[in-house]
Amino acid sequence: MHNIWLIAKREYLERIRTKAFIIATILIPTLMGGGIFGTAYIAGKSKASSHIAIVSSQQPIASDLQNELEHGKDSLMVVDIIQPTPETRSELDARLHEKSREKGIDGYLWITPAASSDPNARPTFDYTPRSSADIVTSSTITDSLRTVLLREQLANRGITATSVDSLMEPVVVNTIEAGGQHGSSRNSFYVAYVLFFLMYMVVLLYGMNVARSIIEEKTSRIFEVLLSTIRPEEMLAGKIIGVGSVGLTQVAVWMIAAFLATASPLAAHLANTSSISISATQVIFFIIYFVLGFVLYSSVAAALGAMTNSEQELQQLNMFLMMPLFFCMLMLPLVISNPNSPLARITSLIPFCTPLLMNFRVSLSMPQPWEIALSIALMIATIFAVLWVASRIYRVGILMYGKKPNLPEILRWLKYS
Amino acid sequence: MPIVELQHVRKAYDTKIAVADLSFRIEPGSMFGLLGPNGSGKTSSIRMMIGITVPDSGTVNLFGKPFSRAALNRVGYLPEERGLYKKMKVMDQLIFLGQLHGLDATTASKRAHIWCERMEITEAVLKKTEELSKGMQQKIQFIAALLHEPELIIMDEPFSGLDPVNAVLLMDTLVDLRNQGRTILFSTHRMDQVEKLCDNICLIHNSHLVLSGSMREVKSRYPANRVAINFEGDASFLNHPSIESAKNYSGRAEIKLRDGADPQALLADAVAKARITRFEVMEPTLEDIFIEVVGSKVDA
Repeated sequence: MHNIWLIAKREYLERIRTKAFIIATILIPTLMGGGIFGTAYIAGKSKASSHIAIVSSQQPIASDLQNELEHGKDSLMVVDIIQPTPETRSELDARLHEKSREKGIDGYLWITPAASSDPNARPTFDYTPRSSADIVTSSTITDSLRTVLLREQLANRGITATSVDSLMEPVVVNTIEAGGQHGSSRNSFYVAYVLFFLMYMVVLLYGMNVARSIIEEKTSRIFEVLLSTIRPEEMLAGKIIGVGSVGLTQVAVWMIAAFLATASPLAAHLANTSSISISATQVIFFIIYFVLGFVLYSSVAAALGAMTNSEQELQQLNMFLMMPLFFCMLMLPLVISNPNSPLARITSLIPFCTPLLMNFRVSLSMPQPWEIALSIALMIATIFAVLWVASRIYRVGILMYGKKPNLPEILRWLKYS
Repeated sequence: MPIVELQHVRKAYDTKIAVADLSFRIEPGSMFGLLGPNGSGKTSSIRMMIGITVPDSGTVNLFGKPFSRAALNRVGYLPEERGLYKKMKVMDQLIFLGQLHGLDATTASKRAHIWCERMEITEAVLKKTEELSKGMQQKIQFIAALLHEPELIIMDEPFSGLDPVNAVLLMDTLVDLRNQGRTILFSTHRMDQVEKLCDNICLIHNSHLVLSGSMREVKSRYPANRVAINFEGDASFLNHPSIESAKNYSGRAEIKLRDGADPQALLADAVAKARITRFEVMEPTLEDIFIEVVGSKVDA
């Protein structure tokens, strides 16, 4: 035990002191936070604010549209209404190219009244922008026109203005979780997604780090010194614990940062939504499944590291590490759409998928307790099996240099004591 | 009680036999040289002594008992290739390795400082290993093997990569350790370097043991039939009938005499023909013996 502790401590301290670790730990949450706030900020500022002119002989529709564009939900435009005269078009064309912000316009909308007398006939709308790339303005105009026309039609059929407004309110569907809890499904979905990718990233990153640190030891031949005092199993265990603790430290820092960021009123204000918070249950299950998943994947990575002599060779083998993770990605849509379907239940019990999929199910809707217990038991059993195989491969593979072993050779190694 | 005893040890890898039927014993307080050319099985033998690999058959006894990992805290091991963490500071590294051998951090640090002073590398202790020269790394590796004051010191090619000054420093240190009663085993392919160092030797070739015993005894098995002559003038005395073979390096001849030949007769002939500045009758060197033994085995 003492030796495992020494190896783990060295591994942990050496890694945590590196610049790469410090930068990744600080930079990633900063970038993610910056990204979230930045998007929220830009979304708030992206209301169309162009200056346009409406050319129309029909006063009601023009002023209604003006009102919608100047004070509407997504719009802060400045709108001039112009009665059409023979010179209007050339004047407006000139104003399109005007440099000054006061006189110049970003585009004009020409409304030609409907020719027929049919009450359902619509006027023709021609929009001439200064720049055809200004999609925001033209789409805002389209949306506003639709609203205005709808309102006009409804009013024509004798519905009062207030009724019209209430008719046009967007629908809100509240999801109430079983048990009467007023949960926010959307939030738990987001959290589950974030946790899934966090886990995916860290398992992949730190699993590979275990393999890399074994290769490093092989190339520096330090293991020869270590093996002259300690057992290969102790070395392997120490490495996995040491590198794993580094991963946990990093995730802990990120989680605390995420908690602080999402819990702060500033974030809620900027994102303009209710805050997305992570519940204690989610944190506990994340930690349990992260630790188990990490140990499982790093044991596999350790075996891969022991089989290879260089990072290049490792690259070729790391598909063994990626394949189960890709499989999880593939299963993800199924689990999202129906977390309690038989397929989702079975795949989330496969030990290599459990850390990702079961954790995902826990975040979405709590599975049966026996499912959780079974998944944890299966994972622990698999970890021991993989560790047993990995330490055999490690023990023999670490002393093999030069040529890459083939499968029969690896199987033969398992028989060596 | 021998400190190390190998009995009929055999180790084969997938494609070749590394060690075949190797037996020898190392007595306490002696300096033992495991000699042989590259690829003869020296490192494979050493790895079995410290449990990195397990022999296919035969037994390895350490300190009079069958090999057990518990005995390894009494062994110091210097691997053939430097095995140090490149990015770690020298002192941290020495303390870490000392702790793995069962020392506490304070003792390890104290001893490491004393050793660094002795090996003349005090300026390196706060540097990272990768910043140091090969020779310095070798010295640090050497210190790491000795921190826990092992009774048995096993060194695989300890002199490789050292300049002559440092090689002498290392040899002197090894002699000191032997004089303190430690048992030392080292391997080398440079036989000339170790002739004066070893009490006992074991020569292996192509994974087979070809010669073993105490240095004096091995040497006495071979007659003193080598002659070195420095001369000026006529070299025709090199055709004297008592000479089996001779190499003439312009004024310096190395001669091997026929069995039973008298060097005095050669000297008389040489004095008559040339001006002799040096005439020395010598024992064969280890290298000569090795070539003789291996050569005759190849013939047979």
